[in-house]
Amino acid sequence: MVDVGTIPARDRANGVVAGVAAGIGRALEVDPTLVRLLFALLALAGGAGIALYLAAALLMPDAPGERRGRVRFAAGMTLLLLAAVAALNGLGLPWFVQLSAVLAAGGAFFLWREQQRVLGGVLFVTAAVVLFTGGGDSGAGVPLLTPAAFAGGLLLVVGPWLWRTAQERAAERMRRVRSEERAEVAARVHDSILQTLALIQRESADPKRVEQLSRRQERELRSWLFPEGELFKDDTLVGAIANAAAEVEELHGVRVEIASAGNVPLDDDSRAVVLAAREAMANAARFSGADEISVYAEVDGDGISVFVRDRGTGFDRAAVPLERRGVSESIEGRMTRRGGTATISSTPGQGTEVELSLPRKAS
Amino acid sequence: MKASRRIVIVEDHRIFRAGVRSELGESIEVVGEAGTVGEAIPLVIETDPDVVLLDVHLPDGGGQAVIAGVSPERPGVRFLALSVSDTAEDVIAVVRAGARGYVTKTISGEELTEAIHRVADGDAVFSPRLAGFVLDAFSSGEPIRDAELDELTAREREVLRLIARGYRYKEIASSLHLSVKTVETHVSSVLRKLQLSSRHELTRWAAERRMI
Repeated sequence: MVDVGTIPARDRANGVVAGVAAGIGRALEVDPTLVRLLFALLALAGGAGIALYLAAALLMPDAPGERRGRVRFAAGMTLLLLAAVAALNGLGLPWFVQLSAVLAAGGAFFLWREQQRVLGGVLFVTAAVVLFTGGGDSGAGVPLLTPAAFAGGLLLVVGPWLWRTAQERAAERMRRVRSEERAEVAARVHDSILQTLALIQRESADPKRVEQLSRRQERELRSWLFPEGELFKDDTLVGAIANAAAEVEELHGVRVEIASAGNVPLDDDSRAVVLAAREAMANAARFSGADEISVYAEVDGDGISVFVRDRGTGFDRAAVPLERRGVSESIEGRMTRRGGTATISSTPGQGTEVELSLPRKAS
Repeated sequence: MKASRRIVIVEDHRIFRAGVRSELGESIEVVGEAGTVGEAIPLVIETDPDVVLLDVHLPDGGGQAVIAGVSPERPGVRFLALSVSDTAEDVIAVVRAGARGYVTKTISGEELTEAIHRVADGDAVFSPRLAGFVLDAFSSGEPIRDAELDELTAREREVLRLIARGYRYKEIASSLHLSVKTVETHVSSVLRKLQLSSRHELTRWAAERRMI
């Protein structure tokens, strides 16, 4: 298993000089002779191989896990620098490029170790300055590298910090959103559901009241869970009828089932239809004795039709007491004032249906 | 007295299942209950009931998954969908998947019993709200590709409007001067169109529930 995380120990037992090549060979699972060959080749590059070998001998621990002394570490690093300079020199690069490369490497080392970041930054900037001033008297090409070096240095200085900050902020935002959501759900559960449950427990002897409470709760919860739903959008005919139905349910403890096909935005005309429909629902709830009312709203090319139906006692219009006729008047009156009609058909014993219709106006 | 019908209830709330069980008439025999798609498919295949009362929303998938899993093995089993939500896409999607009817959970025990018998007899059951949706979906002015499937007849419209208004089949029959059997035929025909039509609204609603 190749372990790239730690520096391998020297292997003096199998080594020729200091056991460096043997140690590296063992750690990388290659033939030490190959490593020795590589050092020899590098030695041709301005003696870089020799400096590198000495640096390795100093930096690699004598035994696995052993800590190096500070002096030995500093000496090793210096030799490493010398090796780098020798190699760059061997490539025939101008001195200032070599120096800035070494400075930049040192800068990067300190930056990524995340200690002495300022020192790292300084080394970087120095590298850039060296590159710039050196390039100033030796001609074209190199000055172009200077801004890039600056930018690269800057990125290395602030990059890790920016990255970590951004990540922390995203995580923080996530946590906040989640806790806000939780708080909102908790508030909702407390304000409505728990209250309703408490009420239901207290009034469990009255099934009608329990049903009423639970229906109201259901409606509330539904409009909260599905705010995009067609129903309960106040600014449409069907939404307004659904709201009116909800009020009637709550006031009179009946069930109102709503069906619809098509919809229109609310205007004065359609609002009149909603009010008339509300009146019809309230009447059915109060007088029919039925516990369920069916409402169907339809909007098509001809106009608006709303049907309010119950299967209650029904009535004979001729025998209706005066005050109730007045209520009917408010349904019929509302519709006729808008150019529509209200037709009430009722059979005693079978229920009542009110049909409201408002023809589309030629515009 | 109608012949007894065997049903399976597929619904994830035990309390609701118990409630339905106690409300159903004597003519309905509950032969099994399941709370998930995974439980439901083998149970329905094994018990081979007349009707499956199927919740649209199950913890491990939609009611459609149960229909898809059972139908190849037991093509004779009929499904009546049941949900609390009543949104167009739920309803349309489950009916297009093969349910023969759709009712909401607020339905009374008596009406539910009647609906189960109707579905068991091969007829369709529409809640008022489903009737409204269907009228809506079939009313838009998009071009008709297949007149037989993409358009409702005037009679079918009349029947659907009465269902939407809360009429029962018997009341529809007497108000249109038809026999109950004829009303049932019209509703079944609408169901077939609902399942087979390629009208845009229907495919859109189905697509929103990832049915196609």
